[in-house]
Amino acid sequence: MNRDVLVKLNYLLLAILLIGASLVIRHAESPERLIAGDWVETDWRLEKDNASPVEELQVQSGLKKEILRNVEDLHLGIWRFEKDGSLKSPSSAKSDSIEWFIKGRGHVLELRRDGRTIESFQIQQINDRKLVLHLNFDLQVKGIIEIVLERKEYSNQYAEKI
Amino acid sequence: MLRKYSNHRTQSDNVKLGALTAFSAGMVNVTSVTVFFAFTSNITGYYAVLAQEVSKGNWYQGAVVLLWITLFFLGSFLSNLVIIQGKGRWSQYISHAIPVILELLSILFVGIYLEFFYQNSLKETEILVGALLFAMGLQNGLTASISNSVVKTTHLTGLTTDLAILVSMFSKRENRHNQGLVNKFHLLLSIMMSYVAGGLFGGIGYLYFQNGVFYLTCVILMVIAFYDFYKIGRVKRLFERRKREVLVQDS
Repeated sequence: MNRDVLVKLNYLLLAILLIGASLVIRHAESPERLIAGDWVETDWRLEKDNASPVEELQVQSGLKKEILRNVEDLHLGIWRFEKDGSLKSPSSAKSDSIEWFIKGRGHVLELRRDGRTIESFQIQQINDRKLVLHLNFDLQVKGIIEIVLERKEYSNQYAEKI
Repeated sequence: MLRKYSNHRTQSDNVKLGALTAFSAGMVNVTSVTVFFAFTSNITGYYAVLAQEVSKGNWYQGAVVLLWITLFFLGSFLSNLVIIQGKGRWSQYISHAIPVILELLSILFVGIYLEFFYQNSLKETEILVGALLFAMGLQNGLTASISNSVVKTTHLTGLTTDLAILVSMFSKRENRHNQGLVNKFHLLLSIMMSYVAGGLFGGIGYLYFQNGVFYLTCVILMVIAFYDFYKIGRVKRLFERRKREVLVQDS
């Protein structure tokens, strides 16, 4: 193929990438919109780095208490992400001044109280139904707390079915 | 530092340019991670993240990463375009200084926006990180282009590989006495150390100056852009003084 044509194709490809990416960002569901609403905690799992099954059990029992004490404020039960950027929980009185922010490429959930960061979670999965957050902890051992949340409407439907 | 091109550049020109630009890149990168949770000179990583997000079906996050990579590309493209199209139209120094000025403006825009308008929304974060990646693209494009790809200040994967190769080459006595290899080692080492120092300065500086770190980066970029302007002026003044002295002696 003629090289002049190839150069023009390069420019065209660049324009397509720029416009295409911008259109997807504009029209696809952003994590900031997806997260708004009520989410019910369905699971808190501890995952320690390189842990054997026996160690895993010890982590689960021994450290769980200590870790949960450290993140007690975040053990909300129901997480209500308001559109104005505040995080509330009907089951917790402490959460009234927590603000939430989505950062990075939409993969970090930052929680602040009085302008100071209290925790940053990695958003591992987010869709209409499910929100999975990872929280790195470094207490006696390094590891991850996985918090699984389900949108309240879906969670209620499931409970009604049962 | 900026006015010479390719093989006409001295070791000192490359070390000064490499160290100062790497320092500013390190500052920008660490500050961006602190403020936005996003790297601004980690293009290799972003290619992997792009593939990961697409494979997980996260189209939105994938598109954001694709946009960032494209903006870095656009920065490097624009940088070299100004350099090669400026040849013959204006002085070499000006065509090399324009990408630095554009980079400075991009970083200044981020600093000012953060200071006065930032609402912590995701959309703003994406645009501001995009502006920083565009700035890093401009910088990497400029340094690589004018130094014949000897200086690359945001590409530490390649730099670490080159350093490792050089260190292994120095296991042979004749290579240890090869001035070219020794110069290259000094250059790469100064870039690496400046990048780390810039990162440390950015991280610690953020605790004291917050968004002011971006203004400090702009000051470093101004030094890079106007250093040769000052040097050319000094050489001109010296030349005119000598000329006057010769005329006085002749008369």
